[in-house]
Order: sequence, then C-alpha cells, then structure tokens
Amino acid sequence: MTELLVVSAGTDPNSSSRLLGTRLGEATSMALAAEGELVSVQHLELRTIASDLTNHLITGVASAKLDEAFAQVRAADGVIAVSPVYNGSYTGLFKLFFDALGRDLMRGRPVLPAATGGTARHSLVIEYAMVPLFYYLRALLSSVPVFAATADWGASAGLDDRIEQAAAAFTRLVRAAHPTKSDPSFEVTDFSQLLGG
Amino acid sequence: MQIGLFSVGDVTTDPTTGRTPSEHERIKAAVAIARKAEEIGLDVFAIGEHHNPPFHPSSPTTLLGYIAAQTSTITLSTATTLITTNDPVKLAEDYSVLQHLADGRVDLMLGRGNTGPVYPWFGKDIRDGIDLAIENYALLRRLWREEVVDWEGKFRTPLHGFTLAPQPLDGVAPFVWHGSIRSPQIAEQAAYYGDGFFHNNIFWNMGHTKQMVSLYRRRFEFHGHGPADTAIVGLGGQFFARKNSQDAINEFRPYFDVAPVYGHGPSLEEFMAETPLTVGSPQQVLERTLSFREHVGHYQRQLFLLDHAGLPLKTVLEQLDILGELLPELRKGFAEGRPAHIPDAPTHASLVAARDAAANAAAEPELVGASEAGR
Repeated sequence: MTELLVVSAGTDPNSSSRLLGTRLGEATSMALAAEGELVSVQHLELRTIASDLTNHLITGVASAKLDEAFAQVRAADGVIAVSPVYNGSYTGLFKLFFDALGRDLMRGRPVLPAATGGTARHSLVIEYAMVPLFYYLRALLSSVPVFAATADWGASAGLDDRIEQAAAAFTRLVRAAHPTKSDPSFEVTDFSQLLGG
Repeated sequence: MQIGLFSVGDVTTDPTTGRTPSEHERIKAAVAIARKAEEIGLDVFAIGEHHNPPFHPSSPTTLLGYIAAQTSTITLSTATTLITTNDPVKLAEDYSVLQHLADGRVDLMLGRGNTGPVYPWFGKDIRDGIDLAIENYALLRRLWREEVVDWEGKFRTPLHGFTLAPQPLDGVAPFVWHGSIRSPQIAEQAAYYGDGFFHNNIFWNMGHTKQMVSLYRRRFEFHGHGPADTAIVGLGGQFFARKNSQDAINEFRPYFDVAPVYGHGPSLEEFMAETPLTVGSPQQVLERTLSFREHVGHYQRQLFLLDHAGLPLKTVLEQLDILGELLPELRKGFAEGRPAHIPDAPTHASLVAARDAAANAAAEPELVGASEAGR
C-alpha cells in the first residue's frame, strides 16, 4: 500500500488550497494506480489542529491530535504540501506545522509542494519560500510543483495539465523513495556505541 | 515507594497580587518547604539547578547542605544536576561532601539542561549535550568508585593520578537517576548502568512517558540488571488541590494562565486532559496519581511540583498539608497489587547493605574451603 498525505494550510473547508490538494492527491493516486500500486490518500487540514500547534509552540506539549498528525506524516510514502500565499509567503499555520514536526520526520520523504494565491504574481513562492524549507528538512522535493492562482480555476486546461505533470513527476519520486516509517524518537543506540562515540 | 517534591526554584511574580518575591525570600522558602516536606512525612526533596534568572538554585549543594542540617530523615536530591556544563570532578567533590554532611541522605538526578546560553557560558556547546552527558557521567562514576583515576576524554583536561577527596560515605556512591523527557540515549544510559530513570511527566501526555519508561525498562533487562519490571523508575507530576474541586480550579487558574512555562497557551482544562496535571479535590489527585502505574508499571519514586508559578509560600505549605493528609492513602494505593519482587528505590543504607552482601558472597567459598581444611 502506498500512502499519500495531503497537508493543506487553507483556513476554510472549501479553500482553494484544500481543493488543489485534493486534485493533486487524486491525480497522483491515479498515476500510481496505473503503475499497479494500491494507494490510499489521507488529508490533514492544518486548520483543524491550529490551536494544538500554538499550544505546542508555547508549552512543548503535543496533544493527542498533534501526535496523530505526526503519525500520519510518518506513515506517508509521499506528502503533498499546499499553502495559500499570505503577504508573499506560505502562511504562519503552514510553517507552525513543519516547525512542530521537527527535523526528522520529513527527512528522505518525498514532498510535492503546491500553493494557491490571488494572482500569478505569487507563482514563485514555491521556489523562494517552500523549497528552502523542505531542503532544510531534507525532504525529497518533487521537480514539478504547482501554483494555482484564482483565475486558473476558471481557465481552460492549463491547471489540469500542470496537475497531471506534477502528479507524474511525484509518482516517479514516490515509487523510488521508500522513506522510513519507524518512529526515530524511541530507537535505541547501544550504549557501548554511545560511549565509544 | 518514595513520595516527594521537586522544584525548579523559580522567582515568579504572583499574578493575583503583582508582587514578586525576592531571591532571598525564595531561597528561604525552599528551606521552609523542605522542612515542611519532612514534617508531613515525605521521603524526598529535590531542587533544580539553573544559572540564569528567574531561577535561584545555582548552587544546589549549598542549599541542600543547609537543608540537611535542618532535617533528619528526608532524602535530598536534585532535579536536575547539569551533567553537561558542570565539571564532573567538581560534582563528585560537592556531592561527596553533601553525602557526608547528610549522613547518606543524598542522591542525584542528572539532566542536560536546555537553556542554550548556559552551555557557552560554561565553555560548552549545546549540540554536544548527549556526548557531554555520556562522557561526564562515565568519569563521575569512576571518581566515586576508583581510588586513583587516570582518565582522558574529549571534553575535559586529562586526569592522571587523581584521587577524589572526600571519598564517598562508606565507600558507596550516591544513587543516580537520569532524567530525560525525550532522549532515548539517556534512557539507554540509565539502563546500561542499572541506574534510575526519571521522567518529569509534566510537559507530555502519559502515552509519551509510557514509551520512554518502557524503553528504559526493556534496555535495563537487556543490559542484565534484572527483569524489566524491577528497573528503578521515577515520575514527576503536579497538582493543585482544595477540598472543593471548583475552588482549586478557580484559585489555580490565574497562576496557570500566565505561568512562565506553559502560560498563554492551552486552557487549564486542555492541559489537564493532555498532561498529568490535576487541579481538583484531594480525591481526584489521589486517583490520578495512582493511575500512573497503569501506564508505566509499578515504580519507585513519585515527585510532585507544587512550588512554582508565583504561588505564595503560604499556599504551597497548605498544598503540603493536603498532600500530608493524602499520604497514607497514597502509600496504601501504591502498595496495592504491588508484587513482592518489585524493589524499592535504593537508599544509602540499602546500597551499603548490597555492597556488603556482595562482598560476603564473594568471600564465602574461601570460608568453606578453610573450614574443610580444618576438619
């Protein structure tokens, strides 16, 4: 089973980020299915854990809901990460989540970055804001990201083609990567090795 | 089962009055609280170590030495002693002296410390935290156990022909607990040496505490110290109690809401649901505390954080009165269903007895041989 997780930072259940995430999830799972893979797609809407994230930021306490969200990331063969653009960058909520996640969970995990914005003037947000974040987290970045401006949702074909191309590239990455799914926080290194270190 | 207190020693404004106690008041309050802890029958008083305001305990052995002189039965401990930024030689010296002064009523809980600037202030790098904890403790153990130590490591100037003075009381090192919230390496360290493992159990949900403790227990058995359920486990916890649970909530909420560590975040109710904090009636405190065993198994030491967040001394002493009244029931509850093979936390007396028993056992074959020869 190949598990995809769509993480979206839209603040409305019908936000265009959620919509773009859904479309990318569907397109990728169809592309994977065409390669003979069994696929499941999970959705993690960050708005549903927003207060858990701020509480975690202030206290360091991860709520049960937050632990569950981290477990969803750990179980994912690929993460589709979608944020709206606020003031020229991903939203604070989007960053809060990846800050709370810590450095290890995205390491070696395929990620397809995507963003939504009012106009195409924000298209490069993925390249200048999201890509550095995921490089820092040592995620495996898919080579074809998707930006959708409001006008794209009414335009002919363009966005659909970009979603198809992104899904195809992401599928190749997901099939090759096999990220770790174990929980590194409770892994033991034998003490004789630690002493020797 | 040992029951006691641990405190970080914060100097915090009382949010209900706007009054900030002086460092002097807080240091004296720590002494008053420790004396009260002994008076109500608690087993352990532990103080933290910090090297930055708003905390006062930068010199724990001075404070504990003074408390040792004012008490006679309570075990004095730390929560935690910084094994990373302290020189292990100085730790060995300071705690040896304290152990002598307190007639053995001393153990230590080691921790790394998570205040970034403290490391460079003491010439260290926080990124070396785990390595420092491992190397420094390996040296500390040898200083307490070997008469002449020759040693070279990565972080400290080498020692050649070093002998610790004073040697530990009765030649037996203080028992050591290793405190860690989320580092498996520290659970592994505690397991490797057969030392105690303490989880502060304040900032995480019980599920996390359970995983860390079970890791320690598993590795304790792996390293040959005995079955996993005989590993030496300590837990933290915190409560605020009044006879009427709503009174407890109303009185504690203003302190909780702006507390330096978790204030301005979750609501009191959320924090109570997600962590072991209990604010309510003594009965609720009793039930919650006795439920910890269901997650971590039978354990040896339960420490409560009661003195914090700007609570006035008077209130803290009232909380201790409540804890004192609860104590017989807590002890009864902890004893219930506890199998006979679950050990108590080691004390100086039990460590001396164990050492002597081991020495006798080693000497026995010789005695048998001698008596046979005499026949």
